[in-house]
Amino acid sequence: MKVDLTVNGSEHAVDVADNALLSDVLRETLGLTGTHVGCDTSQCGACTVHLNGRSVKACTVLAGQADGGDVTTIEGIANGDDLHPMQVAFRANHALQCGFCTPGMIMSAIDLVQSADGPLSAEDVRDGLEGNFCRCTGYHNIVKAVLDAQANM
Amino acid sequence: MEEQGEFVIPATPQEVWDALQKPDVLQECIDGCEEMTLTEEGTFACVVAIKVGPVKARFTGTVKIVDPHPPHSYFLDVSARGGGAGFGSGRAEVELQAVPEGTRLNYQVRGTIGGKLAQIGTRLFQSFSRKMTRTFFERFSQRWVR
Amino acid sequence: MSAETGIGASVLRKEDARFITGKGQYTDDISVFGQTHCVFVRSPHARAKINGINTDAAMAMDGVIRVFTGDELVEDGIGDLPCGWVVNSKDGTPMVSPPHPPIATSVVNYVGEPYAFVVAETLQAARDGAEAVEADFEILEAVVDTATASSSAQIHENAPNNQAYDWELGDREATDAAFAKADHVTTLDITNNRLIPNAIEPRAALGSYDAASSTYTLYTTSQNPHVERVVLALFVNVAPEANLRVISPDVGGGFGSKIFVYAEETAVIWASAKVGRPIKWRADRTESFLSDAHGRDHVTKAELALSSEGEMLGLRVKTIANMGAYLSTFSSSVPTYLYGTLMAGQYKTPAIYVETQAVFTNTAPVDAYRGAGRPEATYVVERIVETAARELNMDPVELRRKNFIPPDAFPYQTPVALEYDTGNYAASMGKALELADSDGYAARKAASETNGKLRGRGYSCYIEACGIAPSQLVISLGAGVGLFESAEVRVDVSGSVTVMTGSHSHGQGHETTFAQLVSDRLGIPFESVNVIHGDTGRSDYGLGTYGSRSIAVGGSAIDRALDKIIAKGKKIAAHMFETTEDQVEFAEGQFSYAGSNEPKPFAEIAGAAYIPAVYPLDELEPGLSEKAFYDPKNFTYPAGSYVCEVEIDPSTGVTEIEKFVAVDDFGNVINPMIVEGQVHGGLAQGIGQALLEHGIYDGDGNLSTGSYMDYAMPRATDLPDFEVDMTSTPCTHNPLGVKGCGEAGAIGSPAAVMNAITDALGVKDVPMPATPHTVWETIQQGA
Repeated sequence: MKVDLTVNGSEHAVDVADNALLSDVLRETLGLTGTHVGCDTSQCGACTVHLNGRSVKACTVLAGQADGGDVTTIEGIANGDDLHPMQVAFRANHALQCGFCTPGMIMSAIDLVQSADGPLSAEDVRDGLEGNFCRCTGYHNIVKAVLDAQANM
Repeated sequence: MEEQGEFVIPATPQEVWDALQKPDVLQECIDGCEEMTLTEEGTFACVVAIKVGPVKARFTGTVKIVDPHPPHSYFLDVSARGGGAGFGSGRAEVELQAVPEGTRLNYQVRGTIGGKLAQIGTRLFQSFSRKMTRTFFERFSQRWVR
Repeated sequence: MSAETGIGASVLRKEDARFITGKGQYTDDISVFGQTHCVFVRSPHARAKINGINTDAAMAMDGVIRVFTGDELVEDGIGDLPCGWVVNSKDGTPMVSPPHPPIATSVVNYVGEPYAFVVAETLQAARDGAEAVEADFEILEAVVDTATASSSAQIHENAPNNQAYDWELGDREATDAAFAKADHVTTLDITNNRLIPNAIEPRAALGSYDAASSTYTLYTTSQNPHVERVVLALFVNVAPEANLRVISPDVGGGFGSKIFVYAEETAVIWASAKVGRPIKWRADRTESFLSDAHGRDHVTKAELALSSEGEMLGLRVKTIANMGAYLSTFSSSVPTYLYGTLMAGQYKTPAIYVETQAVFTNTAPVDAYRGAGRPEATYVVERIVETAARELNMDPVELRRKNFIPPDAFPYQTPVALEYDTGNYAASMGKALELADSDGYAARKAASETNGKLRGRGYSCYIEACGIAPSQLVISLGAGVGLFESAEVRVDVSGSVTVMTGSHSHGQGHETTFAQLVSDRLGIPFESVNVIHGDTGRSDYGLGTYGSRSIAVGGSAIDRALDKIIAKGKKIAAHMFETTEDQVEFAEGQFSYAGSNEPKPFAEIAGAAYIPAVYPLDELEPGLSEKAFYDPKNFTYPAGSYVCEVEIDPSTGVTEIEKFVAVDDFGNVINPMIVEGQVHGGLAQGIGQALLEHGIYDGDGNLSTGSYMDYAMPRATDLPDFEVDMTSTPCTHNPLGVKGCGEAGAIGSPAAVMNAITDALGVKDVPMPATPHTVWETIQQGA
């Protein structure tokens, strides 16, 4: 089937199998390997991207479901050399170690901050990132980073 | 995995016994049963589509009646394979007893499951099998009610 | 060098630049021209004879290129997956290591063991092909339970009683004598729950063969690519070592599970030559659960003999360790030399005797997982010490203080083989108590009671032995490898530096820490140091990263290479100064000579090394590049004090960690930010073990916890903020004064949590993991 996607601002018309997942299309067809697959069952959140401005787990979205949609991946959040405040905060707070969960974690965190009614507390951040596993950091520095980033978003 | 239970069916033990030997009756009563054929006396081949949590598959299996004492008791040996989804096998002991309301059927099942079904379906399998059994006997009893 | 980037500075990480932008290159991110895909066909049975495998239907399917079975590997001379450490039993006989073909041939011994694999044009075609492979299994009785394995059906022909070995350490008679004179004996039955490591990046491999040069290239998720290469070459016979290049690119966490040489990468690299095309495989999560080596799984009886004043007199420990179905790469060393040797803990217990019986079961192989043996040892020691204090009505802090090895007793020879070089346990304890607001505890407990909650506090004073290890010592104990590390420091003409290290980073931040070390010692900008790792084609040899060895062993190797660079630099500078090398000093990036007021910056000497105008080339080779192999003289012994405070809701059994304080002594610290991050991660895994995680097999040997829906990993909401601090007694035997920090958190924390929970509930023991259900049941039993 034919699927039209806008990914990180570029338009793509891709021909994919009916059962192709959005994560497959991003990684295999478009070569955007920053979106990682950690569990295939939408439990780990490593594949989180934005679809029409909201975070989704790309391993459980069919490419066809995203037809006509606007997708942003980890590769698309910086403005040229200007990193997104969440990227800056993750580095500044040592909120990543192996880096595998990081793209999904950053994409979830951006949506969490953007869709919050008011300033988030540490507890709100922990609740909001429940869908993303990190096995390296114990989340301590991730929480710090998100709190830090929200001041600059 | 072990399970037991009883149902009261509004029919005589002989009627129940006879019905339980008929492939078309079994097919109608087993949820998701797509085929049920008598391959030889007391042995059925069947295809059943099931869905347990995230595992959905078509199982191909055999059901064999062992040590029948009509219309009182028999054993059913069941084994089924669902390709990549896993497999199951087990033995059910079935006893029929005449009661004023009709027939009381007691059953006791001992079985094992394996493959994906066991890895990601175990939590759900017990409730799944209970529901499947209940559905079977509800449908089975309906034969005499309507 | 600058204070912002030198040793001791919390420099932000270089590697983050690619990870936060999605530019990391993990194995599955790499694709090569003509690549095919591979799916493994795995046993649905825990134990069965394979009477036949029919691959015809699979072979006939669209897109399927080849279907391989284990017999084809055997016929091609592919050997078994070896266990690299031979542990001897009490009677001196070597352990039993059953045959372990990468792809099962005649029997399968755990659910998930591969017995065939399908190579196809697409992943979907490979999956469909795998479903079509039919095997005729004769199902045999499965052995699952650790405690009863030795009296169950025999799994391997050469392993009676399902025993791999029956090992001992320590002085049995001295220990019996200590118990005979004891006033009090505390006994504890302990189960150390089976864990599944779960790096978020699943294992993966991409193998290719170049027929023109007869060389193989394997990209794989390994913590030690050189070890992978030597095992595949020397033991598994895939290819001559020189023709095999193993690359571990960015690796998404390891925690031990990616040390080992597994069936999958073996099959992929071997088959790439048979198919004549590159083959890629990536595990899905359930495959990871089934086939990654698991951790822990001990059943232990421990007894501690004490005087009435609380003096620890003797410790007796008897453990049954579940090895799973086969002996994985380093599995045998875990419940022995990495476990029994730690039973002294931080204490001067004079007599200790440890026995470990290693048993086979029809479960996935068990091997090193973060801490590997030392968390299990710490759990035994710190649970029984706390229990003894309660039984003797002593403050558990006081009992520990009374028995600590005092700072003036180092170097200290324990009764279980290790010689601790340095430490100050009371200092860590003091700092931890302060941070934990010990004085305010009574008020907090009273407040909890008012709210109908149960509050408890627990301690854990761990010690661990890491930076494994002096080669000759471990070889004499049965290890099949040396455990040194290599480093090469290449100074460029312009004075920038490329470092090749045999250590491997899969989250530890070596590109930053090692660059700090080099920048600090050579006095060159941090930015002009580039660290390369993970490629057998680019660095000499290396033993990789596990057992918290990177800075202590890998860092020391770099330091040694830097010594050689500086020594050669002095020779060159001596010619420029027209003096002798012993007259040349090197400090803060400059070579200087008392007879000259014009010191030579490092970059100038580097340039002179490659543009050899001033020195005689028959005496001194041109260039400035040095290698070093560093073999540690001893383990390093990080130690620390952890305090955990919990509040339990008795109506639900839910445990909240209210406070977790960790004070660690890692000696000198290069990058405190990174070290604290390592502690955080370790704590998360240790708390996960205590509260949530449990790998469970049912009676038939099915893994019931084969997905993230069933195996409870800590999520952000499950963990508290940590209070982390440090004390320092620098390591006395490595040039940097450093100790390993990667595993401490996972080693020390489970006992602290469980001591707090048992304190809150007022019970002797609660099995790990203390899930709400388990805690609630414990409360109901007491009620």
